Amino acid sequence: MPLKIRLGNGEKGVLKTSDLYFIQKLLKTMRNPKTRFDSREFVEKGEDYFFNYVGKNVGGVDEGRRNFLKGIVIGVAAATVVGIIPGLRVLVPPVEQAAGFPKSLLVDVSGNPLKASSIPVNSPIITLYEYPLTGEPNFLLNLGDKSGNPVSISPVEVTVPQTGKTYKFPGGVGPNNSIVSYSAICQHLGCTPPYIHFYPPQYVGPSQLTAPEPDTLTAQALLAAKQANIPALIHCDCHGSTYDPYKGGAVLTGPTQRPLPAVLLEYDSSTDYLYAIGAIGVATYPEGSDGVPSQDPSKDLDTSQYGSSVGTKTQVQANTNPFSGS
Amino acid sequence: MSLTKRVSNWFSERLGLDDLPFFKTPDYMYHVNEWLGALVAASFIYTVISGLILLLYYNAAAGYQSTETIINQVPYGSVVLYSHLYGAYAMIILAYVHMFRNYFVGAYKKPRELLWILGVLMLVLTLGASFLGYSLIGDALAVSAVDVGAGIITSIPQLSFLIPIIFGNYDTGDYTRVLALHIILVALIGLLFVFHFFLAEHYGMMPSRKVKPKAPAVYTKEEWSKFNPWWPRNFVYMSSLIFMTWGFILAIPNALAYLNGLPQYFNPFMNPKPAPPPNSPAAAHITTYPPWFFLFLYKIADFTSDVVIFLMIGVIIPLVYLIILPFIDRSDELHPLKRKVFTGIGILMITYLIQTSLWGDLAPGVEVSVKDQVIAYLIPAIIVALGLTFIKPVDAQLKPSRGISPLTSLLFMVVAMLFAGSVVELIDYPSLFTFAIAVFTGSLFFIGSKAMGKVVLSKGLPNNAVPEVKTTTETPTSTETKKKFAEVLMSILFVLVVVIVAQMWTIPPTGYASNLFGVDLGLVFLMLGEVISLYHYVVYKKPVEKEE
Ligand code: FES
Repeated sequence: MPLKIRLGNGEKGVLKTSDLYFIQKLLKTMRNPKTRFDSREFVEKGEDYFFNYVGKNVGGVDEGRRNFLKGIVIGVAAATVVGIIPGLRVLVPPVEQAAGFPKSLLVDVSGNPLKASSIPVNSPIITLYEYPLTGEPNFLLNLGDKSGNPVSISPVEVTVPQTGKTYKFPGGVGPNNSIVSYSAICQHLGCTPPYIHFYPPQYVGPSQLTAPEPDTLTAQALLAAKQANIPALIHCDCHGSTYDPYKGGAVLTGPTQRPLPAVLLEYDSSTDYLYAIGAIGVATYPEGSDGVPSQDPSKDLDTSQYGSSVGTKTQVQANTNPFSGS
Repeated sequence: MSLTKRVSNWFSERLGLDDLPFFKTPDYMYHVNEWLGALVAASFIYTVISGLILLLYYNAAAGYQSTETIINQVPYGSVVLYSHLYGAYAMIILAYVHMFRNYFVGAYKKPRELLWILGVLMLVLTLGASFLGYSLIGDALAVSAVDVGAGIITSIPQLSFLIPIIFGNYDTGDYTRVLALHIILVALIGLLFVFHFFLAEHYGMMPSRKVKPKAPAVYTKEEWSKFNPWWPRNFVYMSSLIFMTWGFILAIPNALAYLNGLPQYFNPFMNPKPAPPPNSPAAAHITTYPPWFFLFLYKIADFTSDVVIFLMIGVIIPLVYLIILPFIDRSDELHPLKRKVFTGIGILMITYLIQTSLWGDLAPGVEVSVKDQVIAYLIPAIIVALGLTFIKPVDAQLKPSRGISPLTSLLFMVVAMLFAGSVVELIDYPSLFTFAIAVFTGSLFFIGSKAMGKVVLSKGLPNNAVPEVKTTTETPTSTETKKKFAEVLMSILFVLVVVIVAQMWTIPPTGYASNLFGVDLGLVFLMLGEVISLYHYVVYKKPVEKEE
């Protein structure tokens, strides 16, 4: 029953019930001999003593209550730990398990499907797309002769000098069967564009012998091209490996001992679209003992740490013209 | 003796918890104002831990690509990455708050001069490390920020030898050196932090001005020996602050990761996701900004084309001023209004910093005429000067109610926004979970608004309207009621935490939804911090905590 008092135009509470109860309890404690209130000390130390006294004897937190609260804190902390546990998966590195080669539509930079007939013949601009994993570049080439007319690329047997084994390169695709695609990672020590790139006919000549990096051709490369009677080639400026784009990426000059693996392309003549559907040749990374590559190109699908499957679309980028400087 | 008691005694004996050389804390200092340094340290620790996790995955030879991999492939990678970014943001903001608070209370004065100088150096290192970290993403923004930074250095020919030292082969996409320097700077911060920390413990926290109105403001050995020892009250209070800081660092960016269409002014700064890579066609369409904590420099660059002047205004003069401050302001006055010149400079520094940063955000790269510069910078100076001339220092005794600190009101704003957000979420996706979150933020909001209301309302009351006697009898009861309320709240929070944790186990580790894990973990940390803070309140809070 709260204590009330009449003051002019209304009731005004003086003490709430809880206050009343508190005062009762306080007075009882003060009278209790065990916890007697020391008025002498109170006079000396003032309200400080009073509050300490109240905190200790009346409102203070007793052991049981404190333990209960501790229990809650520990409970919440334990629950937090339980909540963190699934987060520890952040320490487990993701392993990319590409089950196989996806079928990926080649699209241009704005995301529209790339028209096969729009790919320029013998383009000096390095044209790349990632396949089958991100971080694995491949050249996209529309091969032509010296005067820039598309050349039909026929199927050919390719030899791997390192092992002596051979495989069958299926030839070019597209309206003129002139479009081919090879891995852009050099099979010697793994240099990538712009160090390794395609040299169109106008750049296969003695003037390239003195061109600055990455456009330098070696005398051996020129000689090999002459002997093979091809107008253009793929050359790596790192250590001078040369590949024959007309013959399935076969080795023209060392130091490489392996041809460039080819990406299998599928051409849809009704839409003029191109799809990457697989690869043939050695595996992109030589994994076997003594750096002998697997003959099975799907062997190293899971070795790229950062790559993930490119999925159903892959973007073709034509950004760099390596010859623009020379 | 119960088993738990024995175990805890065993530990406290072995660890010497009772006589740690740490500063003992008087009761009245359990307010966040005196603990801002702990908040900075908490965000530092968080950022270091998350950074080390990122280091397991980051590949300096493929910066952008491995960042994308961390976000898309690594389980909860985006949670760690985004909160790493915001941990750094939090650290920068809190370091500024910490610094300016100590500036205005005069904490740089004798005997804390070294403490202050170390702190300023740590701020510089923090900004540097953050800039390098920002560059590691390798997106269009980062690359342009590096370009601008390198451009500033190269425009002073004598300094251009620094470019390879700082950036290495950044241009060719090799971030190895930037990564190494990022880590080195952070290690230096850690080293200075150890000194800073032990010096701070040595001198103790600044006593209230009412107790020690003049420098040197330190407690004598006798005075502080009767305060609360580090264990357990300080420990409890500190852990609540640490967990709350971590909670914000985790919850905010991961919640923001769901927003895509932030307005242009905020997008490059608040959106934790990287921008497109610099060589993509999309990069042509974005406005490039430096990281927000360097926006002020970015704008100052529009004032003058002379790099030396630019560096003087933007970096050297403010920095040198801050470092030598303890030696120019040599009076023993601590009250801000008794050292008006320095207070004025401090206010202007804050104003200019914020003003110039906002300007750089809204009008990046737009040149500013000298006339506009004078108008923009003179007016605040005049206002501050006039204001300070006419304000008289108020005697501390006459101000009974503790005003609300700017930090509290800022926090309250955050809470209010979170509450509004959670209500929207609840309406959009009505579920037990969203309801729980809305209730939680709602109760925080409620507590906050009650606290704010008290301050706002009490402003109108005459100071001596409340008779002395009444306060003495009433305070203990109302504290008691609040403690009861706190206990109930603790139980509710416990249930909420369990519900959220159960939900966390169902969140997929990658993809769009994975950021929900970060939001949840942040909320759990917040609630853990809140529970500990309530525990602190119930168990340790005295009815009256006098400034002694
Ligand atoms: S890596 Fe290409 S030739 Fe050596």
